[in-house]
Amino acid sequence: MHSLEFHPTVPVFDANIGVGHRHDGVAPFACPAELMAQMRAQGVDRALIYPVQGEAISAIDGNRTLIDWSNDHDGFQLQWMANPHRDCLEQLQTLHQQGRVSSVRLHSTADSHLSFTNLIYRDLLTWLADEDIPLWVSLADTPADEIAQTLDCYPQLRSALVGAHYMHAMSVKPLLRRLPNAHLELSRYEKLGGVEELRDEFGAERLLYGSYYPRYAMGPILYYLHTADLNPVELAAVCAGNLERILSVAS
Amino acid sequence: MNIDSHIIDFHGHVGRWDGLDMADDPNTMLNAMDRAGIDRSCLFNIFHPDGRTGNDLTAAFVARHPDRFIGFAYACPLWPEDPTAELKRAIDELGFRAIKIYPPYTPYKLDDPAWDPIYRFADARKLAIISHTGSEATCHPHLFAHVAPRFPNANFVAGHSGNIEPYRAQAIAVARAHPNVFLETCSTFRTPGVIEELVASAGVERVLFGSDIPLMDPRPQLGKIITANISHRDKQQILGCNARRLLHL
Repeated sequence: MHSLEFHPTVPVFDANIGVGHRHDGVAPFACPAELMAQMRAQGVDRALIYPVQGEAISAIDGNRTLIDWSNDHDGFQLQWMANPHRDCLEQLQTLHQQGRVSSVRLHSTADSHLSFTNLIYRDLLTWLADEDIPLWVSLADTPADEIAQTLDCYPQLRSALVGAHYMHAMSVKPLLRRLPNAHLELSRYEKLGGVEELRDEFGAERLLYGSYYPRYAMGPILYYLHTADLNPVELAAVCAGNLERILSVAS
Repeated sequence: MNIDSHIIDFHGHVGRWDGLDMADDPNTMLNAMDRAGIDRSCLFNIFHPDGRTGNDLTAAFVARHPDRFIGFAYACPLWPEDPTAELKRAIDELGFRAIKIYPPYTPYKLDDPAWDPIYRFADARKLAIISHTGSEATCHPHLFAHVAPRFPNANFVAGHSGNIEPYRAQAIAVARAHPNVFLETCSTFRTPGVIEELVASAGVERVLFGSDIPLMDPRPQLGKIITANISHRDKQQILGCNARRLLHL
């Protein structure tokens, strides 16, 4: 890989791209075509996109913008935001009846000053588990012990933990051991030798490429994965195959 | 195009940080460096305020692979004695090539006179000094503006280039204003376009690749440079040429 140029050698499906404006920031791209141009420049073929407006302020409003934003564009898989509000659950159920829900992403529990506990999130989590809809949860926004204790109550619920930072290095392995249906999205996981270490203990099938764009660039983690000690089958799984399997979408 | 010049990582550590599961295991470090094609990493130990303890640990670590690691001297105004003697020992006897300071571990802002003996030593020896920079009050990058002109023969390196806004903008501004201020790239905040911004704003000759190894894996940090929309020549400057110049290699 000792080259000044880089292009992915496998298909890439990004598991973590935010779209639209956030209450405290303007999106750096104005339309789907601009985002797709950024993706193509970095060798990213497809992306799971969520509305960033839903992280802190309103999942319901965020989901409304997602419907408009992504209309009629290939290359994007929509991910809906979820919070414990009754109206949000009804919105998600309606979208699900329309066959449009392949995953949801938990809002920021920290920004909402809500603990991720069964007391507050039971209805949402029960519905997700019953419908076999996977849940994305941000480790940056929700304490690891709350994730462990709450998701432990839903052993069939598949999840992806996103945004793990080196400050979470001591939490990641215990979480993956305790939650066998959890996967780790790697956008911020820069622990030295961390990818190989997780592959050795949990298998490549538990790992997902994600960029967290536009907070973070798409290319560096892709470059990391291509310089990691992964065989071609493992690399293809981490870069796209595992996400396709979790979302039940074709390659 | 193959990388035809050495890659030097300007920012790395010796020591353990157990809460972050950080350990300076040379095999793991060398494996990551080898897989990315990084030839040499610059290392320092910031965890011992007397300086001598950490510098000795750095020297012992470097001595195991002197062709792959370069030692930097840690210096701190918390030392009870004048740090000049320890700096002389670290540079002249241990063979270290530059100086590391870490203001957040002290009550002194990086432009406080308490640092002057260290800066004076670097100025006299024409050495580089790398400091952590970021949101911490002791090391806002704009503080270099009060120091760099007073020690024109020393080269001041803003570790992390300020890390996040508005501190990144401060780092760029101070580098533009002072020819002896440089910007080092490692940061867990991998903002899209950041490398392009540093190059366009401060000039490619002022930008140095760093990774924070072993706190962070060097591969995503190297990936920031490799995947940036800049020329091959610029990448070579950032990855090794500028470091060689500063370290007199």
